[in-house]
Amino acid sequence: MNNSHDSMPKIRIRGLYKVFGSQSENMLPHIYNGVGKAELLSEHNHVLGLQDINVDMQVGEITVVMGLSGSGKSTLIRHLNRLIEPTAGEILVDGEDVMKLSKDGLRQLRMLKMSMVFQKFALLPHRTVLQNTALPLKVRAEDEELQKTEACRWLARVGLEGFEDNYPHQLSGGMQQRVGIARALTSNSDIMLMDEAFSALDPLIRTDMQDLLLELQLELKKTIVFITHDLDEALKLADHLVILKDGEVVQQGEPQNILLNPADPYIEDFVSDINRARVLKVRSIMTPLEGTLPADAHGHIQADDTLESVIAHSDGDTAHSYIVMKDDKPIGTLNMTDLVKALVPRIASKERETSVI
Amino acid sequence: MAFYDWVFDSTGLRSWCGENTQDGPATMAELLAKARGEGGGERELFPFPSLDNLHEACAEIPRTREMTAGVENAFLSAKDAMQYVLDPLTQPLSWFLEGALYIFTTVPWFVLVPLLVFIVWFVSRSFAVTVFVTATFLLLGAIDHLEVAMQTLSIIFVCTGLSVLFGVPIGIAMSKSNALQRFMIPVLDLLQTLPSFVYLIPLIFLFSITEPKLYGIAIILYAIVPVIRLTDLGIRLVDQDVIEAANAFGMNGRQKLFGVEIPLALPNIMAGVNQTIMMSLSMVVIASLVSAPGLGVLVLRGIRNLELGVGLVAGLGIVLLAIMLDRTSKAALARINVTHDSH
Repeated sequence: MNNSHDSMPKIRIRGLYKVFGSQSENMLPHIYNGVGKAELLSEHNHVLGLQDINVDMQVGEITVVMGLSGSGKSTLIRHLNRLIEPTAGEILVDGEDVMKLSKDGLRQLRMLKMSMVFQKFALLPHRTVLQNTALPLKVRAEDEELQKTEACRWLARVGLEGFEDNYPHQLSGGMQQRVGIARALTSNSDIMLMDEAFSALDPLIRTDMQDLLLELQLELKKTIVFITHDLDEALKLADHLVILKDGEVVQQGEPQNILLNPADPYIEDFVSDINRARVLKVRSIMTPLEGTLPADAHGHIQADDTLESVIAHSDGDTAHSYIVMKDDKPIGTLNMTDLVKALVPRIASKERETSVI
Repeated sequence: MAFYDWVFDSTGLRSWCGENTQDGPATMAELLAKARGEGGGERELFPFPSLDNLHEACAEIPRTREMTAGVENAFLSAKDAMQYVLDPLTQPLSWFLEGALYIFTTVPWFVLVPLLVFIVWFVSRSFAVTVFVTATFLLLGAIDHLEVAMQTLSIIFVCTGLSVLFGVPIGIAMSKSNALQRFMIPVLDLLQTLPSFVYLIPLIFLFSITEPKLYGIAIILYAIVPVIRLTDLGIRLVDQDVIEAANAFGMNGRQKLFGVEIPLALPNIMAGVNQTIMMSLSMVVIASLVSAPGLGVLVLRGIRNLELGVGLVAGLGIVLLAIMLDRTSKAALARINVTHDSH
């Protein structure tokens, strides 16, 4: 897949605003003039849900939108297929503005291009697992036989073989969400929207489901928009991380980068509780190779290794340094002292600031 | 002389009232007062400014009995037009009722009873309910009440059938439109609280008393209310998450209605149907005042002729029918609930 970000993004959001209230359109001039969220609520009695969102979501990547409750993340994902109508802005999917679609065009988009997985699963309780999974094809009035074979295939793929004739209430939460994912996959759309898809599951199951998603993604290369309030989950899944606060994007970029260079105290606060050793990768903190390989290196490590594995590898000896390999070629070096510094949030971010400039 | 004279004197309306302080027939209250020898001497200190009291001061103000007479005249003058529209429109109801009555009373019992028992088994799939229904039919047959009970059943079937046929679409329309809901709720309240005899009065004027549609309309108007209410409620209560999912996968309105909303609202709709059956049964006795056949006629005979036994046995027969219909429809409802229980 093309990973360079100058190609046309699958989804491009430009200047997106959402105002909740009876006269949302009339509020736009106020907002463009810089009236804030609190003021808009107290003086005009309108709630500013999203303001000036600009995000590009690349083909084949998982874009994670993270924020606490009330940050507007669920509102944002529902704008992509217009389950919620935006107040202003552009949403381009494959270059086509979703905002300009007719009612029929919108239905086509929802049927063919975007599927969705929900926090509360939202399966039809009166239909069997198989019928639920076949729903997207049934909506399109596809051939019955095709509906069945496709649904069976995806159910097997998410590990639910043999449960086809059960009803949703007979399954556990984790299994119900597997049905939810199978349903979204059956639709065979390029884009998958996942609204806090794993938030209702208990931690162990959640980890399983994250692994399942990553495994599926390796093979399917869908464009996934994933909403979560859990930073660990966001860091695990994200190729591109967008952090929302009060309806605004506070920072977006590669997760490793955000972790090392938090843009403001809010995000610094956010990332301070993270087990950095497990999340940070060697490539993010290594020194790029200049000229010759250092002679005193203690061995080779991979660019995508986590710091945790390097620490284990070094037996905790901070005097070591390593050569970083990618595709069997050396691309940089890593001193254990740098590694240890990177584990402390504030030192790491200060170091970066000075070194970047 | 009259208490409210000053109102008309002071506002200059005296001349409009005219001098000929009223005559015409005396009211009942006046006659009673006269009979008690009060002669109009004793008066309330501060009478309510009602039509009658104002009339005493000013003849131009109509009396209350003239007002009620006016309502009657208005209805009678509109009657022909209403009859012209409503009579052909409601004619099929008469045919349905006559047809059902014909079927239920001419099919021999040894065909009809097993058929009904089979239907009960088919919808309820409950052994206990089926046995109960069979026993009830046998008991009613044994005391020679089977035929009247069947007449009552035929009326119930037609009326609840039509109530569901009209009520469910009305309920769906209400759930889709807040304006329609705001309009319908007072209408439904009216239908439900208006004493059932009051329906009958205008209906008697509109239709011939010998026609079955007369009681058919009275029963349907009364019994249709719960099925409308619960359909509306049921569809409004459908899990919004599921509706959102249906939208997200691009379902159109029809697919959503028949694939999601009605199936998920079905437990509530069925509860409405159950209530509709019960309410139409409760109207059966009153409907027999206007020539509806069935157990109600026997109850009426019991009241009219003070035949205690006849009235009591027929009344208990109605209770048995009610339990039978209720248990059957509840068993059917429970069967739906099993597959719907998602929580």
